[in-house]
Amino acid sequence: MQNVKIKKTINFISQNFIYLFLLLLIIIIAFINPNFLSLTCLRDILLQCSTRVIIAVGMFCILLTGGVDLGAGRVIGFTAVLSASMLQTTDYARRFYPNLPQQPLFIPILIALLAGVVVGILNGIIISRFSVPPFIATLGTQVIVYGITSIYFDLPPNNSQPIGGLRKDFTFLGSGSIGGIPIIVILAILIAAIAWLVFTKTSFGKNTYAIGGNRQAAEVSGINVKMTLFIIYTVASLCFAFAGVLEAARTGGATNNYGFMYEFDAIAACFVGGVSTTGGIGTIPGVLAGVFIFGVINYGLTFIGINPYWQYILKGIVIVFAVAFDIRKYIAKK
Amino acid sequence: MNGENFILEMNNISKEFPGVKALDNVTLQVRPGTVHALMGENGAGKSTLMKCLFGIYKHDSGEIIIDGNKVEIKDSKTAINLGISMIHQELHPIPYRSVMENIWLGRFPMKNYVLFKLIDNKKMHEDTINLFRNLNINIEPNTIVGTMSVSKIQLMEIAKAVSYNSKVIIMDEPTSSLTEDEVDHLFTIIRDLKNRGVSIIYITHKIDEVLKIADEVTIMRDGKKMGTWVASELTRDLIISKMVGRELTNMFPPKSNVPGEVVLRVENLTSPFPKSFKNVSFELRKGEILGIGGLVGAQRTELVEAIFGLRSIESGKIFIKDKEVNIKSPTYAKNHRIALLTEERRATGIFPMLSVLENTVIANIKAYRKPSLLLDNKKIRKDVERSIEMLKIKTPSYKTLIKNLSGGNQQKVLIARWLLTTPDILILDEPTRGIDVGAKYEIYTIIAELAKQGKSIIMISSEMPELIGMSDRIMVMCEGRMSGIIEGNKVTEEEIMRLATKFIA
Amino acid sequence: MKKAGVILLTVTLLLSTVFTGCGSQQSSSGNTQSKPTIGVAIYKFDDTFMTGVRNNISKAAADSATVDIVDSQNSQPTQNDKVDLFITKKYNALAINPVDRTTAGVLIEKAQKANIPVVFFNREPLADDMKKWDKVYYVGAKAEQSGSLQGQIVVDYWKSHPEADKNKDGKMQYVMLKGEPGHQDAELRTKYSIQAVQDAGIQVEKLAEDTGMWDRVKGQEKMAAFLASLGDKIEVVFANNDDMALGAIEALKAAGYFKDGKYMPVVGVDATAPGVAALKDGTMLGTVLNDAKNQGIATFKVAYVLSQGQTPSKENTGYEITDGKYIWVPYVKITKDNIADAQQ
Repeated sequence: MQNVKIKKTINFISQNFIYLFLLLLIIIIAFINPNFLSLTCLRDILLQCSTRVIIAVGMFCILLTGGVDLGAGRVIGFTAVLSASMLQTTDYARRFYPNLPQQPLFIPILIALLAGVVVGILNGIIISRFSVPPFIATLGTQVIVYGITSIYFDLPPNNSQPIGGLRKDFTFLGSGSIGGIPIIVILAILIAAIAWLVFTKTSFGKNTYAIGGNRQAAEVSGINVKMTLFIIYTVASLCFAFAGVLEAARTGGATNNYGFMYEFDAIAACFVGGVSTTGGIGTIPGVLAGVFIFGVINYGLTFIGINPYWQYILKGIVIVFAVAFDIRKYIAKK
Repeated sequence: MNGENFILEMNNISKEFPGVKALDNVTLQVRPGTVHALMGENGAGKSTLMKCLFGIYKHDSGEIIIDGNKVEIKDSKTAINLGISMIHQELHPIPYRSVMENIWLGRFPMKNYVLFKLIDNKKMHEDTINLFRNLNINIEPNTIVGTMSVSKIQLMEIAKAVSYNSKVIIMDEPTSSLTEDEVDHLFTIIRDLKNRGVSIIYITHKIDEVLKIADEVTIMRDGKKMGTWVASELTRDLIISKMVGRELTNMFPPKSNVPGEVVLRVENLTSPFPKSFKNVSFELRKGEILGIGGLVGAQRTELVEAIFGLRSIESGKIFIKDKEVNIKSPTYAKNHRIALLTEERRATGIFPMLSVLENTVIANIKAYRKPSLLLDNKKIRKDVERSIEMLKIKTPSYKTLIKNLSGGNQQKVLIARWLLTTPDILILDEPTRGIDVGAKYEIYTIIAELAKQGKSIIMISSEMPELIGMSDRIMVMCEGRMSGIIEGNKVTEEEIMRLATKFIA
Repeated sequence: MKKAGVILLTVTLLLSTVFTGCGSQQSSSGNTQSKPTIGVAIYKFDDTFMTGVRNNISKAAADSATVDIVDSQNSQPTQNDKVDLFITKKYNALAINPVDRTTAGVLIEKAQKANIPVVFFNREPLADDMKKWDKVYYVGAKAEQSGSLQGQIVVDYWKSHPEADKNKDGKMQYVMLKGEPGHQDAELRTKYSIQAVQDAGIQVEKLAEDTGMWDRVKGQEKMAAFLASLGDKIEVVFANNDDMALGAIEALKAAGYFKDGKYMPVVGVDATAPGVAALKDGTMLGTVLNDAKNQGIATFKVAYVLSQGQTPSKENTGYEITDGKYIWVPYVKITKDNIADAQQ
């Protein structure tokens, strides 16, 4: 009987390792500086995690199919620049479009999102139609996207100047709050909730798991694998595009360098959150936990004043060990 | 067709893979509500034919008629929509998902929630329970497939195929991992399906099963159809002769080897896995060719891989020249002068992107190391050129990439590779699989010559004529056990087949 | 098991709110300490010049204040996150070296809301943003000055070395290695270095201009390309910083310069240690010192005075204050003759 109990405990720990690790991390930081356990800190962390959650959700869709998108960061830069360029105040001295009249807020945002979708469609076609491995396809498109962003950014009269002077109603999206909860956090929760619904309750979600788990089996079960992959890359790119718009709103500006290397943060968060490197395994709560672990590390370690270089080392250790430990629950079954 | 009523007709189907004619003008006609067995040796083309039917392969010529209508099956989805479902032999399920998700994949029951159409998990669970109840299967629908036993997964796949409510269900070796009771269970399910008017195409090499369940039997050999018979008119021996029935012409070189003293003795070798080999004992003499026969799944490959140190052993002893040895890994095997030519030439044998030269010396590369740690390219080239000449490898140059060589020449390069390690014992696992007839003869000549030089050879082969024509003695295995050892010159194919199916119910 | 995960995640998040009350009380008590805390956000740590400023800030703080210096990793969103943290911790003053100078407005609003004074340094926010609040200051050098001084170094050389005009056409043929396009310093140095030459009455001809992204390797690659296409036509090399100048020197060495009497005047900006070494061995003509020491000290002084609730002035900071909120730290011309000035 005792034995069964111990076994159950071990099983519980290994099944929920990621969440327990997050808890432990918070406890350790709070032990060093109890001020860490405050509403403001929670709010700050949630705020910092929100765009990352949106990016990680997009990345999660792709990783689930066994693919990867190395272009997430560049799409973010693209849409940040695109939305910011059309949302400057009319009295700002260095406007991107000096004569552009004030637009309704949703139009520039919609244009930016559409641009992201176009990149996603491009990825989707290259990967599903021409069967180019996602690693290579997205490696290629991300360079193209960066090139396009830079050309746009360099257009006269802007000439590669950082885009600033964004409209209040736009920056409100990034820094304002409703009922004490930052809007950006609400948006992230909303997107995570939709993703959770899609991946647990819809046939599209289940098909995605199936493709990542065993593509051939999915094919002989009559799933349109190519179409599913195409949609996945497009939707993921839409997530990145939205994150890019929010990054511009949050910082009140944009340059062509925005979003650089964000994809690796997102990939790391997904893997730490229990998503399999080969596809077919992973959950949205896991991904959220992964993002929060990095959020807590980023914020908490600065909070207790740990040397930033040590933070890098710790992050690296977390990535390797969290995944090494998490993977045990699958290996044990073989 | 003379008013005859077929649910499915595959007429004059041909399919060619690079270098191999896999299907040659094959016709298969299935009547509604019958079990139609499809039989043949390994590589006869049974699975290929079914893959053409299920849209996994595209046939080169011929037509498929379902219910009197000519159809074009371009993918599995089309096949499913046309009322065909299939239990795949090699396909694995999606291991991380639940049983019910695996079953209803691609056609989940949906329900409208205000704005969205979401999966109706409750209905899916109920449907699964109902399906399992009808089939008398006892599996909890929420179980994660990866945690189940192979036979449970097999049952799940059977249930999945049934759940499509198809007119035709293809079962490719459905009993390969089932216990005796489970096989009976499957037969009950099949009889029930039959009564409901469903046709079953049943692929197997297990003769007893066919005699028990089939209505009609089509036998294939070498990609050709041998004929279709009513099952009740067939006997075990008749089936065997139809399946193997090829003439033994002098396609083998004369042998002049003289077996000498015992070099390898295996005693009661047993695998830790219950389904694998157990209590296998045999002796191998110097200059002898020992054939190992048996059906797919007889654990022959597993046995020789264990001797070579690739697999673990639960119990048993291996003696080399009367000295007990412990072969923990292929490195030990190499040190004891044992060489193994693997079965899957493409997967585990050749390095397709490397040249003939590199492929030849890779197993023996250490021997070419100079004191400076660099490789002695001159010596390598000399040895490779000698090998090419000795084994008559047809290649433009030693620089040619091995993937550009024919199957037979690739195999010769592999033999050259292991000969360079100067082995005493050479284990060949299906050495002529996928090789054309002319090249086969050359390989046989090489094997005979090596035996004459005093090398001891173990040769696994699923081709009866090859076993009989080449071996001094033949050890036959069945279900992991040794079912007999026969002297090579007084053996018949029928006898081997009988031994190969000795323990199969 | 899946459910357990969701619950755990929720519990974890809720847990941090449970202690809300005592948490905020404690942090407010930290405010009353006599030693102020200043939050310093550097745009990125692996920038040679900013490391100099950073070290001088720490040195200047000594025992009078606690400085918390963080790395923004060259990402504006990261910097915003770090500033949020400073505000949450209720620091007494902020010193920010913005990643993207045009987005300083958002940071100013954040600070204003929390009533924590801000000193921007090294990268100048837009004038409109600076006007938003009276507790916003800027410490930095006038970028155009670094360009002008570069130009002056070249003018001095050109006038005293007639052989520098290799083709004797009376015009200065030059190539320009620019920093990151769009970077304020890059644009201004490029413009004002040439203007200083023209102001001295020398005609110029631009042979080529390309970006080396402040980077030594890229500087070398671009210079090698210039040499391959233009060869001996080049008479002067301008680089927006020392790293690119040093890269250019490497490319020139590979092309046979700096030996057997073959020389090329190369000027940079920053007076970095390797730059000064190049001055010593005669490969670099001159550089301009961006005064890290004084920028660091001035930044700290202004932030410190603000943290004490006082208004900065010449008396309490030791630096002249222009327009009520700008502290200009001048650049220094460095050539072989005054190397010692660079080694402060």
